[in-house]
Amino acid sequence: MAGATRLRAEPVALVAAGAVTPLGADLDAFWSGLVTGSDGISAIERFPVADLRVGRGGEIKKLRPLPTPRQPGCRATHLLLAAAEDLLARAEISAEPSRVAVVVGTALGGVEQLERALAPQGRPRHAAAAFYDTPTHALARRVDARGPVVTVSTACAAGATALGAAADLLRADLADVVIAGGYDALCRFVMRGFDALRSLTRERVRPFDRRRSGLLLGEAAALVLMTRDERSGDPKLGRLLGHASASDAAHIAAPDQNGRGLELAVRSAIDEAGLTPDDLDFVSAHGTGTPLNDRIEADVLKRTLGVRAHQIPVNSIKAGLGHTMGAGATLEAIMCLLATREGVVPHTLGLEDPDPACDLDLVMESPRAFRPRISLSTSLGFGGCNAALVLEGTEA
Amino acid sequence: MTGTTVERVAVLTGWGEGISALPADAARAAAGRPVIPIPRPDLAGDRFRRATRECLLGVAAVDALLREGGMPRDAIRGTSTALVYVTGGAYGASNAAFIAGSSGAPAGDARETRHAQAWAGALHFPYTAPSAMAGEVAIEFGLTGQYGILIGGAVAAIDALWQATRLLAAGRCTRALVLAVETFQECEGLYARGRWLVRRPLVEAAACALLVPGAQSAQYNVPRAPAALETLALARAGETLACAPLIALALARDGGTIGPISVTGEWRGRRAGLQWQ
Repeated sequence: MAGATRLRAEPVALVAAGAVTPLGADLDAFWSGLVTGSDGISAIERFPVADLRVGRGGEIKKLRPLPTPRQPGCRATHLLLAAAEDLLARAEISAEPSRVAVVVGTALGGVEQLERALAPQGRPRHAAAAFYDTPTHALARRVDARGPVVTVSTACAAGATALGAAADLLRADLADVVIAGGYDALCRFVMRGFDALRSLTRERVRPFDRRRSGLLLGEAAALVLMTRDERSGDPKLGRLLGHASASDAAHIAAPDQNGRGLELAVRSAIDEAGLTPDDLDFVSAHGTGTPLNDRIEADVLKRTLGVRAHQIPVNSIKAGLGHTMGAGATLEAIMCLLATREGVVPHTLGLEDPDPACDLDLVMESPRAFRPRISLSTSLGFGGCNAALVLEGTEA
Repeated sequence: MTGTTVERVAVLTGWGEGISALPADAARAAAGRPVIPIPRPDLAGDRFRRATRECLLGVAAVDALLREGGMPRDAIRGTSTALVYVTGGAYGASNAAFIAGSSGAPAGDARETRHAQAWAGALHFPYTAPSAMAGEVAIEFGLTGQYGILIGGAVAAIDALWQATRLLAAGRCTRALVLAVETFQECEGLYARGRWLVRRPLVEAAACALLVPGAQSAQYNVPRAPAALETLALARAGETLACAPLIALALARDGGTIGPISVTGEWRGRRAGLQWQ
C-alpha cells in the first residue's frame, strides 16, 4: 500500500476449530480424509442436476441432526450450526455474551431459501431466510453472542476475510472471543451458475496439473474460536499473524491476468505479520484447478517469494472437497495449523503431472512428513477479491 | 493509531440526489407507496451493458461524491484507497432474476421471458454475487487497495464505517470509501412477505462516505436506544437499511454539526453505534 506506514499487527490466537465437510462430519474426519487422500466428490443427489453439463460435487451425504428440538429448514444454516457443534465439543466459550462476537464469510448465504420463497407456495419465512446474513444470526443465537455479528461476502475469499475481520475485532478490544469462519451449501442456484460459466470439469479436479480442466464445487462449514493471544493459554491451534485483502479492479468473474491484486494481498499480509518471504515454510494455495487460476497463483508466488517459491511446499486441498466457496479459506487455514500440529502436509489430490508453468515445490502423490511453522494461505473470488493469511502453527 | 474524519458523504435516494431532496416526512411523502425506486442510472460505456442496477447505483454514488468534492477520479485511483461495501439485500434482484431465468418458466410476455432466460446465462451469474457490486466500482475507479464487503442492514453499515476507521488507523490505506446500496423494486413481493424485518416506505438508496485520517477518534458501541440522527434519517428518508447510517452522517454534515457525531443502526434486533469525538 503506497503512502502509508503500516503497523505490525498483534497476533491473534486460534484456539480450536470445528468443521463439517464432504470428507466427514467433524474436524477429525476432515484431517484424516486429507492425509489419507479421501475423495469427497460424488454425484449430487439432493437436487436435480440432470440438465447440467456436470452433476458432481463435494456433497455432504449425511448431515447429523442438531441437538435441538427443531432442525433448521435452511441447509446453509444447518451446515454452519453443525460446524459450531463440532467446535463447541472441543472448546468452551469463556467470555460474557456481550464480549462474544461472530464473523462469518459466505458466497451464497441462504440463497437456496430464495428459490423456495420464489416458488408458488413460498412462505414468508423463506423470504426472510434468503438474506445472506440469516445463517450468521442463527449461529449468533446458538452461541449466545451479543457482541458484533458480522457477515462478510467477499465471494470465495470470504472464509479468509472473515478471519481477518475477526482479528481486527479482537485487536480493537471489541470482543474477547470471536467465533469466525465460513460456510456455503451446494444448491441448484450455484451449480447452474458455474455450469453456465463452463468452469466445472467433467474430469477430476487436478490443481497445478498439466491436464487441469476446471473445478468442482463442494459444500462445507468451518469455524475457529479466536481470542487475543495473551488470553488464549495453551494448548491452542496457532496464531493469525497477518491478513490482507486487495481488489483486482480488472474483471468481475476472472482473476487479473497478472495477479496484481493477489500479489498485493500476499505482500501486505506478510508485511502485517512483521515477517519476510524468507520466514514462510508452507503455502496453502487457492488451487482451484482452473487453467487460469493456478497459473496466476504460481506466477504470484514466484514473484513474491523469489527463489523460496521453489523450496517451500505448496498444496491445494480442493480436489478432494470440491471448491467449498465461503468455507474454503477457513478450511485451508485450519489445514495449515493442523499440518504444524501433526507434522504432516496433506498432498494435492489429482496432481500427477505438474504443469511446467507451475514449477513450485508441489506436495503430490502422498502426504509429506514436514512440520511448517509459518504458513501462507491465499484466496481469490468473484469481483476481483483477493485475500491472504499468514498463520503460525503450534506443535502438539 | 490516528483518528479519522468523515470528509464527505454523497447520497442518492428515491427522493432525488442529495439531502436537500429528502422530504420532511418520508411516510407522508410516500402516500402509501410501499417502494420509492431510483431509476437505473444512465451511465455510458459498453462495460455497463450487463451491469445490474445496484452496480450502476454504486458507481453513480461514488461519482456524486467526487463531483460534490470537486475531486478528479485519479484522486482515489490505486492501492491507497480502501473500499468497504455494505448492503442488506441489493443482491436480491440479481439472485431472483437468475432463479427466474433458470426455471425456464414463462415470465410475462415473450420479451420478458427472453430477458429472464438470458439472465440464467454465464454472463449474468457473476452479477448475483454481492462482490460484483464492489468489483464494478473497483474497476470503474481503479480501486486496487484493501476492501471489505459486509452484509446486513444498518448495523452492518456501522460495522463498515468502523472497519474503514480501522483500516485508516492501522495505515492500511490513506482514504476509505464506505459505499452502501439498497434496491427493493424487483423484490417488492418478497419484502412484503418478510415485512417484520423492514419498515415502510422502502426507499431505494445509494450512499458513499469518504473517510480520511483526522483528529477525531471513532468509538464503536452497543447503544440501547437510537441516536437522534438515526431517528431523523428514518423520518426523512424512510427505510433505507444499510444506507441509513450514511444518510445520518450526511444529515449531520448538512446541519453543520460540530463536535461529537453519533450514528446508530438497528437490524434483526441488534443495535450498534459509532461515535466520533
